[in-house]
Amino acid sequence: MRFSMLPQVFVQMFKKPFTNKFPAKYTPSSTTKFVEKIQNGTVTIHPPVPIPEHFRGKIRYDKDKCIGCKLCIKVCPSEAIEFKEEEKKIKIFLARCTFCSQCNDICPVSCLSMSDDFLLADTDKYSKNLIVE
Amino acid sequence: MSQTIKTTFQLPIGPIHPALKEPVAFEFEIDGEQIIDVNVTLGHVHRAIEWAARKRNPIQVLYLAERICGICSYCHPMAFALAVERIADVEVPEHAQFLRVIHAEIERMCSHILWAGVAAHEIGFDSVLFLTWEIREKLLDLTEYLVGNRVTKAITMIGGVRRDITPEMYPKIKETLQYLKDSFEKLRRVYLEDKTFKMRTKGCGILTKEEALKLVAAGPTTRASGVKKDVRVDQSYFAYCDLDIDYMTPDILTGEVNGDVYDRIIVRLLEVKQSISLIEQCLEQMPPGPIVSEPKIAKLLAKLKKVDGEGIGRMEAPRGEVFHYVKLNANEYIYAWKVRAPTYNNIMPWIPMLKNQQIADIPIVAASTDPCMSCTNRIIMIEDKKTFILGKEELHQRSIQKTRRLHL
Amino acid sequence: MNQEQVRTPEEIIQSYQDTFSQNISETRIERFTTGVKKTEFVHIWMKVNRTVFKDAIKHLFQFDKYPHFAVSSGYDTADNIDLIYHFSIYHGSRDKELSINIKVSLPKSDPTLDTITDLIPGALISEQEKQEMLGVKIKNIPKDKRVFISDDFTKDVYAWRRDETGPYKYARNLHEVDK
Repeated sequence: MRFSMLPQVFVQMFKKPFTNKFPAKYTPSSTTKFVEKIQNGTVTIHPPVPIPEHFRGKIRYDKDKCIGCKLCIKVCPSEAIEFKEEEKKIKIFLARCTFCSQCNDICPVSCLSMSDDFLLADTDKYSKNLIVE
Repeated sequence: MSQTIKTTFQLPIGPIHPALKEPVAFEFEIDGEQIIDVNVTLGHVHRAIEWAARKRNPIQVLYLAERICGICSYCHPMAFALAVERIADVEVPEHAQFLRVIHAEIERMCSHILWAGVAAHEIGFDSVLFLTWEIREKLLDLTEYLVGNRVTKAITMIGGVRRDITPEMYPKIKETLQYLKDSFEKLRRVYLEDKTFKMRTKGCGILTKEEALKLVAAGPTTRASGVKKDVRVDQSYFAYCDLDIDYMTPDILTGEVNGDVYDRIIVRLLEVKQSISLIEQCLEQMPPGPIVSEPKIAKLLAKLKKVDGEGIGRMEAPRGEVFHYVKLNANEYIYAWKVRAPTYNNIMPWIPMLKNQQIADIPIVAASTDPCMSCTNRIIMIEDKKTFILGKEELHQRSIQKTRRLHL
Repeated sequence: MNQEQVRTPEEIIQSYQDTFSQNISETRIERFTTGVKKTEFVHIWMKVNRTVFKDAIKHLFQFDKYPHFAVSSGYDTADNIDLIYHFSIYHGSRDKELSINIKVSLPKSDPTLDTITDLIPGALISEQEKQEMLGVKIKNIPKDKRVFISDDFTKDVYAWRRDETGPYKYARNLHEVDK
């Protein structure tokens, strides 16, 4: 067949595009006001794609359960976890984390877990929302 | 009176070039439009991976191995885990072996469909690129559902896998496989019956069977020349020995073997079909059981600290045979590690394939071996000078223009 | 699939020991099983003296007309450089392939070895890599140029070595520098 793609291209002109769009077309100047407007109903957004469960996003640390055994530091492939000597607790640098969740598996008291937060871009490697402690 | 002597012209392409997906430097000797000789230089994406493993324990090296390459990010940690399991005598449970097969085949399909899109783009057929990558999106959604991430799966563990596939997940897997079977017919019609593809790829970039054997090529590159080499069938690992699998050579579909680019397209599409059938067989035959032989990781690390020996692990990646050699000597860290990615062996065949071809055929022939330069370069990081940058999109435009010329 | 008779691992090692007598040492056969059916596969390891190295590789061609050469790996100990050549034979039919690993030890005072590119042309990149990474000199290599390291890097630092010619002064841990 000489032009086998032609029927497919023709059909594509009438189908909905496959890309998932961002919630809003332009970045809002203030996120809190934008969220209020959504809740009031004055602004509609594209519904976000659902995130599957057990997605490996930002790490969550339950400080009270931690016993300071340092097993997570031993197994982290990118040296993203630091030990705080005086308190016997840890400090995780998300700028170096590879989101492998190996520390979750090895922790004997299960104080680490992965949330589904993935929008973590920032301009400073050591800013407050990129350090978990 | 001075005489004019006719010499050949040297055309350098790379390391950074729009026709190439990854940096590699070629130097072609050209006479008119015909290529006479090729010189290949590697080494432009060196990172310090084998050296960085010297101060990491085996579990950390699993994640280091995963970042050698993005598309074959499942086979490198798996081959490393196979090597360590053979040294330390760790027995993998049968349920885990079938799970490993399922993940390997999903990755093979993702990689072959990506390659199909790239090959179409090199010819100039951009609408096919978007069609194939749309199909691939469904597979990546399935991967994210099973594993937690689209690429860099982080599912390998020494002695098994890290996550289970429970029967609740079967409907989603079966739905994706059904979608793939339906769109496979679309792909087959475009790639194998379309006149443009046949004109551009038949008789182009031929690698004879004897050369493929002597230059020890691996993977679909060598199977398209008629050589029956496939690690899954020759020396099976995981659970492939229990499944119905055979070598995929082009004479299954067309009855003859030419060793050109068209045959390589046939082999890769046949392998996608084979992968669908293998996953279905696994879902039927999988026995229940544990997913890893030693769930307490601290105990596993303590056991590996006392092991002394050397071992090898071989796996069939989408591009060929991946080979890992590991030596441990009763220390917490690894003593020696050698990684051989399949593109290593597939680079030498470029020279006989590109001789006597035209310049406009360079992108499609180089892309037909599915090179993955990130896998090939990973030894030591040094200050590197970029050689030169060629003009804008020149090679790619030439390739598209040849397609248009053939149509008119 | 080749027409020659398929030999068992014990026959292969016996044939090597008959031909090369005491130049072969440290042989071992490792058997593993996989899958539900417990299919077996075999790895053969042996150590060969440097003087008979090329003949030992030629001997491999008796078993398979086109042996598959995977890669050659290497590491260095205090006085020697150990190279291991990884081959595999009998591809083409199900579950019959054997892996053969041949180790050869070179003293650091004279690290030379014969090339095998006249028997297996695909071994060229592997041999060039050993020359630049470990400081081995391969005799009669067809193309003597660097493959992974650029040409302006100094020639007396060998990237894989653990002794004083290693690359330690070039390594920087970036995360410690930055923090």
